[in-house]
Amino acid sequence: MGTAVEVSGLSKSFRIPHEQHTFFKEYFVHPFRRRTYERNDALRNVTFSVEAGEFFGVIGPNGSGKSTLLRILAGIYVPDSGVVHVRGLLSPFIELGVGFNIELTAHDNIRMNGTLAGLTKRQLDERFDRILEFSELERFVDQKLKNFSSGMLVRLAYSIAIQIPFDVLLLDEVLAVGDEAFQEKCFATFEQFKAEGKTIVFVSHDLELMERFCDRCLLLTTGQVQALGSPREVGDLYREHVLVG
Amino acid sequence: MSATSYPSTAPRPTSGIAYYLRVLRVVGAIDFKIKYSDAALGYVWSVVKPLAYFGVLWLVFAYLLRTANQTEDFTLFLLIGILLFLFFVDAVSAMLPSIVEGGATLRRLAFPPIMVPLSASVAIAMTFCVNLSVFAIFAAIQGVEPRIEWLLVVVLLAELYLFTVGLGLLLSALYVRLRDVSQVWELATQLLFFASAIFYPIGILPDWAQKVAFLNPFVQVMQDMRHVVLGGASGPNDLTAADVFAGAGGRLIPISVAALVLVSALVYFRREGRYFAERL
Repeated sequence: MGTAVEVSGLSKSFRIPHEQHTFFKEYFVHPFRRRTYERNDALRNVTFSVEAGEFFGVIGPNGSGKSTLLRILAGIYVPDSGVVHVRGLLSPFIELGVGFNIELTAHDNIRMNGTLAGLTKRQLDERFDRILEFSELERFVDQKLKNFSSGMLVRLAYSIAIQIPFDVLLLDEVLAVGDEAFQEKCFATFEQFKAEGKTIVFVSHDLELMERFCDRCLLLTTGQVQALGSPREVGDLYREHVLVG
Repeated sequence: MSATSYPSTAPRPTSGIAYYLRVLRVVGAIDFKIKYSDAALGYVWSVVKPLAYFGVLWLVFAYLLRTANQTEDFTLFLLIGILLFLFFVDAVSAMLPSIVEGGATLRRLAFPPIMVPLSASVAIAMTFCVNLSVFAIFAAIQGVEPRIEWLLVVVLLAELYLFTVGLGLLLSALYVRLRDVSQVWELATQLLFFASAIFYPIGILPDWAQKVAFLNPFVQVMQDMRHVVLGGASGPNDLTAADVFAGAGGRLIPISVAALVLVSALVYFRREGRYFAERL
């Protein structure tokens, strides 16, 4: 099968200026004042690999670098150092729920997101009804998304994401907002992807979900790899060290 | 050392000319639609705006001040200026905030960020095409006969579009870092409206001011357009870059300015574009 995702020595830090320097006035008033930065090391020397066909979980407390990691895998952020290799087509969606233009109707958002993600007109036409059907939002297709609930947005986003051809699917906290019926529907697609040999990298806080689906889990704390192993082991470690403190 | 690579047997679906054209068509059409979809009069507004400008300026200069006799064809002369100016300003103004406003999509979907401002420019180009029908009606009323030289209009519009896109890309990228850009641009459009010989003949400016004005590719295109469409009937007001910068090569000066703006915008985008998602 081979590896689907290979990450070695990956580091990423963000410089957060203490005072946003976005106004001309400050250049004129304090032209020589040195700007001070808060350095936030989101990821530090992260190394791991994901086998093709694996369901890979990433777990960690808030601010541990999970989303940054996924964004780098998705090609949205640029790593400071380290190497990232993704083999196969990457699903374009990362954080479900948002990423839409809420002034547009569901219809236009599906067309816009699908096209930006690389679907041709014919592919989009073929998939359009399937997207609506899976999301169960047919009645709302001509409504603007600003009138949608967060659960409806997640449903729409997930339905679009899985209709875009991929080998590697990146999911960030997808199921936090959806209702139970829709969650079960998503779980069914997880099983289907597993059967098809797709690779899934999955970020969640839900340990039960991790144990139910993941083959292996990665525990991130403060941007570093704390543990990598079976969901049960990593989950126990997470409960012990992170949740209890 | 840093590298991100996505080796794949299938071609990346988010690159290539076909992908770019598809996105521009779909997203441009959606942008165009939402611009007017909430307005009761819809697309009519896209025509009302240039006509309102035209009406006021015509009233003041052709009727109240009676300066219109300096230019024959003042009606079409004015209309050409207004239509081109509104396209130029509206397109740059739509592109300028587009990256910042499109942040939600850029932070979640990996695609070339240049598509966001480019799509915004397409919607304005579509408005411009609608407005050309206004010009056609006025030209027909004035009994202007189409001539073979009109084919040059296509070349001139292409030059204006490339310059407009270059400026729009540059400002939209700078706006990510420096929010003052929108204030500066707003002021600049006001000044340009009065400084660009839209509603008066450029010949009444002193020589040095003409030279400055013709550094702007917009002014060069507008004057060339008037020259081509009205066939030089406007006499002394029919100045082009070639007249002002001594010689037929004079156009090269504003054309180089346009090329410089476009190239620096593309270079800046290539360098900075991949960091937009984390700066928004």
